Amino acid sequence: VEQGEIELGEVIPQAGSGLPGPFPVGRYARRLQEEMRKRARVQLIGEVTGVGRSKVQAYFELRDSQGAVPCAIWLNDLEKAGLPEGALRDGAELVIAGGPDYYPGGGQASPSFSFRATHVRLAGEGDLLARLEALRKQLRAEGLFELQKQLARPLLPKSIGVVTAETGAARRDLLAGLRRRGWGGTVVWAFAPVQDRHAAAAIAAAIQGLAARPEVEAIVVTRGGGSLADLWAFCDETLCRTVAMLRVPVVSAIGHERDSTLIDDVAAVACSTPTHAAEAAVPLDCGAARRDLQHCASALRRAGEGAIGTRARHLAALARGPARALQRERGGLNQKIREIRAASERGLAERGGFQRRIATVVLERARRRGIERIVAAVAVESRRGAGIERSAARSLQRRRETLRRAAVTLRAHDPERTLERGYALAETEAGKPVTSADGAVAAATVKLRFADGRVKAKIEGDVEREAR
Amino acid sequence: LSEKPDSYEVAVERLEEIIDRLDSGQAGLRETLDLCREGRELVNYCAAELDAVGEGLKELNLDELAAKLEVSSES
Repeated sequence: VEQGEIELGEVIPQAGSGLPGPFPVGRYARRLQEEMRKRARVQLIGEVTGVGRSKVQAYFELRDSQGAVPCAIWLNDLEKAGLPEGALRDGAELVIAGGPDYYPGGGQASPSFSFRATHVRLAGEGDLLARLEALRKQLRAEGLFELQKQLARPLLPKSIGVVTAETGAARRDLLAGLRRRGWGGTVVWAFAPVQDRHAAAAIAAAIQGLAARPEVEAIVVTRGGGSLADLWAFCDETLCRTVAMLRVPVVSAIGHERDSTLIDDVAAVACSTPTHAAEAAVPLDCGAARRDLQHCASALRRAGEGAIGTRARHLAALARGPARALQRERGGLNQKIREIRAASERGLAERGGFQRRIATVVLERARRRGIERIVAAVAVESRRGAGIERSAARSLQRRRETLRRAAVTLRAHDPERTLERGYALAETEAGKPVTSADGAVAAATVKLRFADGRVKAKIEGDVEREAR
Repeated sequence: LSEKPDSYEVAVERLEEIIDRLDSGQAGLRETLDLCREGRELVNYCAAELDAVGEGLKELNLDELAAKLEVSSES
């Protein structure tokens, strides 16, 4: 900084060295700041040491074997740089862009010189990674990582396209992987350089050529491992945008597991090896699928036959059902009958006891009533008997008297009595009375009965009629 | 009965649905027989698809294909 370049205004005359001045230091400091900021903006490369942060800026020294410059960067500029996490650390190789600056300080704050960096990136491999990271961030922000992943990948493509180097292990490994899948479809090769500076454009053209083939159902892009610089073609922005916009799913297998290229991000699937890429391009293990299909066919056959068999057995069981139901009902009824019988026996016993008690009471009452009635009847009868006896005695007396008179009368009329009085009775030999003279003549012989006995008499002559 | 499936995966997915439904034991006789018939058609379709990639790997070169196309379009 040339002293003469700085205009400091009015000079306060002072005795001393003969140099201009003295000037107020604060004003000098500000002029110094202005002059610093006029310096040309440049890029510096060096190693980072002494990293520190305040609320608004990060500061560090950038040095190499020849020397060092104190640097500062506003935190918002640092953020815009998009360095990988932790990239600003002691020992990191950085490229910074900016110019010198001077902080004049103040009443309390100390003045300081620093190189004010407005851009920062990692140098070398780190630089590539940083550029890759920035591009990755941009493509992700544009949504280009998702487009391929939304495409449907056929489980069993009949034809796949492959972009790779014509010579190399990747081609061989991929074929081996496909054969292991039991897959015997068509591979359409699109060979392309995979490393030189024209590689990216050639790869993009090959991919587009394959995508234009209607029979190609998936595209594999593969190459073996290498440094990031070797794989750089697969981080090409144009290539990655081409892949992202394809309507055919792309399977990438670039480098080894630890390598991560941008095409891996935009592809539908990123694989670590060509063998894995073969499995991703033909997701179906054809051998296993054939076995599974046989199982399915068997399961279907079993289900079909089983459905009929099961139902037939069910129907048979239903047919047996009514008999079983009847048996069950019969058993139930028998049980009920037993219960009813038991209950009725109990009931009868109870009712019998009750009825016996009732009968005893009723019979006792009836017996008493009977006795009473008999006693009364006996009394009546005995009264009636006494009357009868009296009337009977009277009647007997009467009858005796009548008899006696009848006997008297009878005696009076008894032929025996008449015979006693001198009359005789004519009877036939047979003992019948002869009551007429004609009868006596007719009989010729009669017996004459007297009171003391009979004599035979012969009738002689005719009847001598009596005059009347 | 059913239309030809769009792809192998669609066929397999439907086939799995069918087997699950049959395994559940909830399908009636008519449905079971229909599902079995549909399943057999799907199995046949899948078998045909597998047969199509079962005859050995074929390799073609995109450049040669493109050249052939140009020749055929010129003639």
